[in-house]
Amino acid sequence: MVDSTPSYIRLENISKSFGAVHANRKINLDIYSGRIKALLGENGAGKSTLMSILAGQLQPDSGRILINGKPVAFSSTKAAINAGIGMVYQHFMLIDAMTVAENILLGQDKRFFLNPKKMKCLVKDLADRYELDIDPSARISNLSMGEKQRVEILKLLYRQSQFLIFDEPTAVLAPQETGHLFDALKQMAKQGKAIVFISHKLDEVLEIADEIAVLRHGQVVGTLDAADVSSKSELARLMVGREIMLQIEKQPLEPKQMVLKVEGLSNNLLENIDLEVRQGEILGIVGVSGNGQKPLVETICGLHPPETGEVFILGQPWNRFFLQRPWENALSYIPEDRQGLGVCMGLDLVDNFLLTTREGFSSGPWLNKRKAEIKAKGLIEAFGVKPGNVRALARQLSGGNLQKMVLAREFYRKPRLIVAEQPTQGLDIAATEDVWNLLLKAREKTGILLITGDLSEALTLSDRIAVMFEGRIMDTFSTSDTEKTRQIGLMMAGIAPV
Amino acid sequence: MFKFIIKKRQAPLVWSSCLVFFGALVLSLAVSAIMLALQNKPPLTAMVLLFNGAFGSLLAIQDCLIKAVPIFLCSLGVAIAFRLQIWNIGAEGQYVLGAIGATWVALRFPDLPWFVVLPGMLATAFIAGGLWGLIPAVLKLYMRANEIIVTLMFNYLAILFLDYLVYGPWKDPVSFGFPMTREFSTSAIVGKIGHTQLNWGILLCIFSGVAIWIFFKYTRLGYELKASGENIKAARYAGLPYHRLVMLVLFLSGALAGWAGFLEASSTINRLQPSIVVGYGYTAIVVAWLARLNPISIGIASFLLAGLRVGLEHLQLDLQVPAAFGGIMEGLILLTVLAGSFFVDYRVSLGKKS
Repeated sequence: MVDSTPSYIRLENISKSFGAVHANRKINLDIYSGRIKALLGENGAGKSTLMSILAGQLQPDSGRILINGKPVAFSSTKAAINAGIGMVYQHFMLIDAMTVAENILLGQDKRFFLNPKKMKCLVKDLADRYELDIDPSARISNLSMGEKQRVEILKLLYRQSQFLIFDEPTAVLAPQETGHLFDALKQMAKQGKAIVFISHKLDEVLEIADEIAVLRHGQVVGTLDAADVSSKSELARLMVGREIMLQIEKQPLEPKQMVLKVEGLSNNLLENIDLEVRQGEILGIVGVSGNGQKPLVETICGLHPPETGEVFILGQPWNRFFLQRPWENALSYIPEDRQGLGVCMGLDLVDNFLLTTREGFSSGPWLNKRKAEIKAKGLIEAFGVKPGNVRALARQLSGGNLQKMVLAREFYRKPRLIVAEQPTQGLDIAATEDVWNLLLKAREKTGILLITGDLSEALTLSDRIAVMFEGRIMDTFSTSDTEKTRQIGLMMAGIAPV
Repeated sequence: MFKFIIKKRQAPLVWSSCLVFFGALVLSLAVSAIMLALQNKPPLTAMVLLFNGAFGSLLAIQDCLIKAVPIFLCSLGVAIAFRLQIWNIGAEGQYVLGAIGATWVALRFPDLPWFVVLPGMLATAFIAGGLWGLIPAVLKLYMRANEIIVTLMFNYLAILFLDYLVYGPWKDPVSFGFPMTREFSTSAIVGKIGHTQLNWGILLCIFSGVAIWIFFKYTRLGYELKASGENIKAARYAGLPYHRLVMLVLFLSGALAGWAGFLEASSTINRLQPSIVVGYGYTAIVVAWLARLNPISIGIASFLLAGLRVGLEHLQLDLQVPAAFGGIMEGLILLTVLAGSFFVDYRVSLGKKS
């Protein structure tokens, strides 16, 4: 059936890299009018890069885009819009003080005098045609997130976009609004629009999509007809992969003292979480992102107190541990957002090294920069951070070197517990291998909680694995338990293991 | 077809900031000359007059240095706040409060010897200016009031408070109705250096400048300020005390401006009167940006903009150029330099349009 419909947009061998990182590798994709295509993938799989290329924000390194068989090249977002491609971003681009109609017609009505009545009628007709319920004269500031999203959609429809991209549209919506959105998407598809739906939520994708393309590490690893998908676990597995990419030497260690213990932790996003991490082991938390990993990390790292349940770090209850000053020396958090959170991009490596180690280099009000510089120099050499110049600014480093720099700093503090969040996301293979080896080495002296959406990473590094789904831990088991590891995909989709 | 290709530089160019600064200065002077020509004033003569008036004689240079002192102190203050991305535009008010604080000591203890009175004035000016800066900090942190608006409003409050004092309780009984306090006793006056017109206030500038430089380079708090100013999220992640830093920065900022007010009241005028409010606090903002918040550059830029003020006095006298022209020139310099700083961070090249 697919073959008989002419493709509306075709991507051929699209590649895009940022430095050594291949964000997109030879991507081929067909998108058809009247159908909803879901683009499924973990954070960092390359979905956003691909769609930014389609929306004209980025230009591909190689490959081409064809619309109705004719090759096109977008030098700007404006060019893409003119070609009929419209994107609904996660962050709405609306003017709060203006009405719905004014926002939709902004820049579209070129006449000097506007006719408010006619504007309202136009918008009303358009909204009715696509069954999008909205009041054209309402002010944006009074609207809910779902209504604002509808305005964004109407903006594109008014511009006659034939091809609509939705970047994780349900992330900002209440469940009930999600239902409305799905109705609207189906309505638009019925009227001949081609729709791309970007998501990492399996349920939604299965509910709404006609076809599903799964992206991993910048490549399309599978294209399926939604009707042919037999189970969620199949999708989950495709999404996070299962092969072990690299051969990493892992010494078996005898786990020692308990460094982290979580008992019955619950809040509105977490449900009865139990965890244990001992010195000498890595516990991998695996799951599709958005299933409670973030609130869990935030509690363990001291951002929010546990509402119900207990968290013990190095045997001390949460309250006591985070009240005392020396905690800075016992817990290291390696954040997912290393550029925004882990470092100051405008400062040099010495200053960045001092960010979490300044305690050790200060005496009274003074900071011993000379000593810090010598230490930083030694660490940079030992960890192979390039360029080896400590006076280089953080923003001059590639993602992999930046991450090694963060690890060097955090390990220098000799932590007892390390919380590492997506430590190799966006890194190339060589850097990934380096980071993995560094984490395994650190394991000898610490306990590591590894949060990852990459199954091969979890299987390579972890001694034990806990699978998270909708704020719960589905199961915790040893990585050597092949029976259980085979069912990780099922568990990630919310199906209990047998 | 050609088009401009704009690329962010990996690291800002080292010498380009100097080059851009002087290029922009020349451009703004050229635009000023055109504006003078439009008023039927001889532009070249005016520029020569401006330069000679400011830097043409030893006396003129001394005058520049005297005016550079309050500008430098205020600018050093706002630059500290700007480092943390706190937009303190209340140096003017903090300067006024410093003057008021110093005057209080001078009027209250006229009979004490100078080595008691002057340090006392120094301390009260520091505290009064600092507290005037601290209030907006507290309002920002605990009531989420925007510091730009609050510090600006506090300028007017401070000036009105000064007016109240010199028209009311502190008015000199023998001033024939002029709004001013009694003249300070000699022990409350900062003396002149040797036979020059310069006063010892310049020493305070050097001390503050060096102290701030050491503060940023060698102290932990200075480092924490720098890091927080770079990336607030990273600062929170690293457990930096952001609230404390904001309060510290606005206090210090205000305290330095307070010292400027103290020096102006006690070395230049020797009493408190409304005419000490001449916009040094606003010029300080221009200077801080021109100098890219660097203490040494702030020294140079303060001297240059003080020269602009001095030179313009001559322009006013000799060519009847309106006083407001000074503000226009100051604004022009800031605009051209800010626009020029784009070239420090970005490389622009010509490329062919595809």
